[in-house]
Amino acid sequence: MSNTDVVAEVRAGTKRYPGVTALSDVDFAVRRGEVRALLGKNGAGKSTLIKVLSGAEHLDSGEALVRGTSLAGLGTRDVAALGVATVYQELSLVPEMTVAENLFLGAWPRSRGALDLRRMRAGAKEAMARIGVDIDVDSPVGALGSAGQQLVEIARAVAQRPTLLILDEPTSSLAAAEVRQVIDVVRTVAEQGVAVIYVSHRMDEIRQVADTATVVRDGRIVETLPVRTASTHEIVAMMLGTAPEAVAARTRRPSAEPPVLSARALVSDRLNGLDIDVRPGEILGIAGVLGSGRTETLRALVGLDRPASGEIRLRGEAVRPGAFAAMLARGLGMTPENRRREGIVPLMGVDENIVISDLRKVSRSGVLDRRAIRQAARALIDRLAIKTARPGTPIGTLSGGNQQKAVLARWLHAGSDVLLLDEPTRGVDVEAKRQIYDQMRLLADDGRAVVFVSSEVEELADVCDRIVVLRGGRAVAELSGDEIELNRVMALAIAEE
Amino acid sequence: MSTTTPTGPPAAKADARGGRLGRNTQRLNEIGLIGAIVVLFVVLSATAPGFLSVTNQLAILRDAATIGVVAWAMTLVIVAGEIDISIGPAVAFSSVLLAKATGEWHIPFALAVLVCLAVGLLLGAGAGFLRARWGIPSFVATLGLWSALRGLAQYMTDGLPVPLDANGFLDVLAGSILGIPTPAIIMAVVFVVFLFVANRTAYGRSVFAVGGNAEAARLAGINVSRIRVILFATTGLLAAVSGLLLAARLGSGNGGASVGLEFDVIAAVVIGGTSLAGGKGSLLGTLLGVAFITVIGNGLVLLGVNAFFQDVVRGVIIVGAVLINVLLSKRNGARSA
Ligand SMILES: Nc1ncnc2c1ncn2[C@@H]1O[C@H](COP(=O)(O)OP(=O)(O)OP(=O)(O)O)[C@@H](O)[C@H]1O
Ligand SMILES: [Mg+2]
Repeated sequence: MSNTDVVAEVRAGTKRYPGVTALSDVDFAVRRGEVRALLGKNGAGKSTLIKVLSGAEHLDSGEALVRGTSLAGLGTRDVAALGVATVYQELSLVPEMTVAENLFLGAWPRSRGALDLRRMRAGAKEAMARIGVDIDVDSPVGALGSAGQQLVEIARAVAQRPTLLILDEPTSSLAAAEVRQVIDVVRTVAEQGVAVIYVSHRMDEIRQVADTATVVRDGRIVETLPVRTASTHEIVAMMLGTAPEAVAARTRRPSAEPPVLSARALVSDRLNGLDIDVRPGEILGIAGVLGSGRTETLRALVGLDRPASGEIRLRGEAVRPGAFAAMLARGLGMTPENRRREGIVPLMGVDENIVISDLRKVSRSGVLDRRAIRQAARALIDRLAIKTARPGTPIGTLSGGNQQKAVLARWLHAGSDVLLLDEPTRGVDVEAKRQIYDQMRLLADDGRAVVFVSSEVEELADVCDRIVVLRGGRAVAELSGDEIELNRVMALAIAEE
Repeated sequence: MSTTTPTGPPAAKADARGGRLGRNTQRLNEIGLIGAIVVLFVVLSATAPGFLSVTNQLAILRDAATIGVVAWAMTLVIVAGEIDISIGPAVAFSSVLLAKATGEWHIPFALAVLVCLAVGLLLGAGAGFLRARWGIPSFVATLGLWSALRGLAQYMTDGLPVPLDANGFLDVLAGSILGIPTPAIIMAVVFVVFLFVANRTAYGRSVFAVGGNAEAARLAGINVSRIRVILFATTGLLAAVSGLLLAARLGSGNGGASVGLEFDVIAAVVIGGTSLAGGKGSLLGTLLGVAFITVIGNGLVLLGVNAFFQDVVRGVIIVGAVLINVLLSKRNGARSA
């Protein structure tokens, strides 16, 4: 391949943040028609490299070029004009605006000075059709849930007909069927000569979508290699810097105890007569496709939403639906699926973000005890291996996966008996995933109940003692113990009515 | 291009400045303000006759208290992403209430004071409740109070001052303790209380969390509504305290007093580096902001600047100060964020 094929390039790039060198002397180039995967642990520097190439950040030293133009001093708009379209790791849509408006954000079609609504809607429909997704372009983005929003972002980037398409964990909240669509779209645009940079923590997905992979570790490029010939084991070893531990076969231990939390015949917008039992001492997985009611189930159980009808019992007693504060006080905890909007308080330190779930634990006679806060936070930062410069570092500056771990740490701090985890491994690297699974297992062994919602059926099948499959807002199947097999769960989750 | 060299130092033991980006900006802003206040002092002592005199310095302290007592509470309101613009009318109304209660309504003085404080607190809590329960933007809820309280105060007094009978308590409020003006002492005490509350209590930290991300705070189990009600109850209460100080100073209840006070208070908070977007701010900054605004006001009077033109100068200086603040944080942010 000739050098004229190089679409984007970084030469000897270094980028520092206070306390961290996010990129250190990085050389990177991507060519027309190539799909390049970026692999690395949480905090390795993948998103930073992407931000440099999209003009959102600037190198401290070295050079970044897109189609031969240096990005020094250019803003995201200028870089977009060079043909770069980026889907950032964190969703960046305006929730109050419709899908169509978001797709054309800032570049709304106009005729004679006024917005051309007809053209906008038509263009939006076309953009959604292009990625093979059926979403109402008139509905507000905020009503879509994470998966829908992610698809809208991808549609928006693809619709710009870029020469370089950058996708930072575009599929982190998508389930198998939608991931398939995204992969097809990426392959199609690559065949048309677009260069693609693709970040994901899912190896099987990388294998289907990428030609080459660049492994990043602690801000350095370890190696760039063809995906087809490299083994997963080899790649993971490069990411971690050590050989990965062999995964011990997990024994499943479905609990025989009476349910600590149960729901009967829940009906709401998305729920349609849902029954579920959550037992202490086990990990209960909830599987289902996009829109099957997984998040809604958790929200109803924890009292964030009030179902139209149905009954919820906690430790045998009926509870008032929608009594969120009371449920927290009685030992429930929930990590939301959208960590930036509902999870983190970005300007606050990691330490305070963790202890916020129970400030009494770190107070003495009503006064916060700095020492206690530091100790509590430190312990959890170590326990979950959260990568942060200091405990007091504003959490908004942590890499995505590390933010996710801190949100989980919050409920470990609160010591909740019933943990409802909505996509807790979203955007988390292989090693950290294992750490999170281990924590879930520890909690279950400790007699707590863990409810695990994930769009990755593989991990559910791997970790759970029992799995409930949702479809159309109802529990349609339950598998426990040795009945749990990946293929079976998968088939049940995507089966039609 | 294959390298498997050992990787750089782990982030955990990196550079002790690590990540306190917001704090750095805050520090810069505070240092800048201190610098500005020093410059003001130097310039004014050279140009304004009597600026450095003890009497004038004590007068500055007394003036500072008019803004300061409420500004501490306002800082938390703004940190929480809210705003309270009802301060001026609330202060005037409280002074009128005291004069009416002790005079016309013959309520014993001590009880009248308690009534004033309670009414202030409840009015604020009411605005907070509108915000918390029905999601009425706090700007609108307090705009309602702003209009209604000014109107009520003027209506109750026909727009005339209502004289207050002097008594020992009022004399102390209007006077000095050990040579320091009483309002300044109250201001200092309230400041220390707020400094403590903001940094060392669950309530204070919850305010920052709510301002930083209300939804996340709610999901973490913070009672966001309760926090919002308390926030406005405190500004209401402290506005009432200010009203008592005003009444003591003027010897009357005055429905037309404290016009535009809310803007001085908000300006002091914002100059101090507290972000109107919420989630970020410092009481120390506000303290400096109060000092800055008060010294400018005092200087303009001493320099004999036309009273109307004083407002123009102050407006320009306030916007200028905030602009510098924003530029500073941008530059700092661009370098390290
Ligand atoms: N704005 C910022 N301020 C300070 N540090 C930052 C900032 N953004 C990123 N960092 C740090 O830079 C390092 C690299 O972060 P980056 O987001 O690139 O990681 P990543 O590889 O994308 O990880 P993940 O898989 O978790 O998304 C991390 O240590 C992170 O804490
Ligand atoms: Mg990232």
